[in-house]
Amino acid sequence: MTFEEAERELQQIVERLESGTVPLDDAIALWERGEELYRLCRERLDAAQGKVDELARRVEEARPTTATPAD
Amino acid sequence: MGKVEAIDYGDRQVYTVSAFNRGVGSWLQRLPTVWVEGEISELRRQEPWQSVFFTLKDTGDGSILTGSMPRGQFDALRLDLRNGERVHVYGRPELFEQRGELRLRALGIERFGLGEHLAALERLKQKLAAEGLFAPERKRPLPRFPRRIGLVTGNDAAAKRDVIASVQARFPPARLVVAETFVQGPRAAEAVAGSLRTICAEPEVDVVVLARGGGSFEDLLPFSDERVVRAVAGCPVPIVSAVGHEQDTPLCDLAADVRASTPTAAARLVVPDLDELLASLARARAGLGRGARRSVERHAERLASSGTRLERAAGLLVERRRAGVERSAAKLRALSPLATLERGYAIVRHEGVVVRSAVALAVGDDIDVRVADGGVSATVTEGHA
Repeated sequence: MTFEEAERELQQIVERLESGTVPLDDAIALWERGEELYRLCRERLDAAQGKVDELARRVEEARPTTATPAD
Repeated sequence: MGKVEAIDYGDRQVYTVSAFNRGVGSWLQRLPTVWVEGEISELRRQEPWQSVFFTLKDTGDGSILTGSMPRGQFDALRLDLRNGERVHVYGRPELFEQRGELRLRALGIERFGLGEHLAALERLKQKLAAEGLFAPERKRPLPRFPRRIGLVTGNDAAAKRDVIASVQARFPPARLVVAETFVQGPRAAEAVAGSLRTICAEPEVDVVVLARGGGSFEDLLPFSDERVVRAVAGCPVPIVSAVGHEQDTPLCDLAADVRASTPTAAARLVVPDLDELLASLARARAGLGRGARRSVERHAERLASSGTRLERAAGLLVERRRAGVERSAAKLRALSPLATLERGYAIVRHEGVVVRSAVALAVGDDIDVRVADGGVSATVTEGHA
């Protein structure tokens, strides 16, 4: 499942719950499913953030010294 | 005139003076009729005389020639000539036999003053211009660093000295080849034209300077001579004309690739100023370093800015998504029974269905119990209905 699919489903669940027409039994199941999707999205975002931070750190290390010439 | 006969004295043939003069006179009559230029002097005209007599003087070297013209013909010209005036005389040589004197027998006389002179020069100029000798598209650029510089100049020298001194002052390593020649008088035109050809034949001559100091209109005339103008126009390498002063415009100026107003100006045209050259080289070198450094800096800045933006863009994308997800999660929780569960309630489900009544269950049923932070599975052991 991609992040986008998970996010879309989470939004749909929220919308269905917001509409107030969902029977209680289903609502509990939807809530649990929502929580599951939320965890999935969090994991994906944390992984992406980790990669971005890692790349930024590497770029910082490799920054060319000519940008601040000595003379 | 009778036949010229010699008297025989044994094996020697001897002529009388009269016979000799007659013989020479008749031979002279075979010479063609020509135009002769000179200055009129000793003009003698008297009513009883059949002819008018005058002397023509060469203004160059003072050579003289006597001339005559029938009085009626002379009067008909209405020239009102004065001694000292320059004239062109159309005539042929003849011998005044009684005196054994050579004379120019004039058939026509034309005053040749400055006006006529200028008019003749103008005609020559028009003719040469029509041939394209002065055309701007014929002008060649001067070489920046001539291997050798040919200098055609008078042996007198102010002009020569000026050119040489200026060239050497500006560009000490310059090499000059000098051809000294007549720059004045009747032989000047041919001499200058010849010197130009000679100097162009010298090896490594990349530019030629024709220099002559100021002088009178007549002094500069050889430089308007057709032979000189053609030699200048035909010069195989670029040529600078530095003849006379600013206001003079001899025709060779028009045929040259560049005209210089003075010999010093000519020197400035044919060699670069060494000091200036070195200074400009130093400046260019400094500029080169600066330019290269600036270019690297600019690129580095752009790259750094791209890197920063890239990093920010990626971070921003993640943040935006995270905000979206967090918003959805917050709504999910607000709508969920989580708050209720956190107060200590639990949800019991049997086979996925929420249990609302104790009688809905039997002993032994498996149930799921959901509390705030999770859930447990249990089995019904006893009912209390």
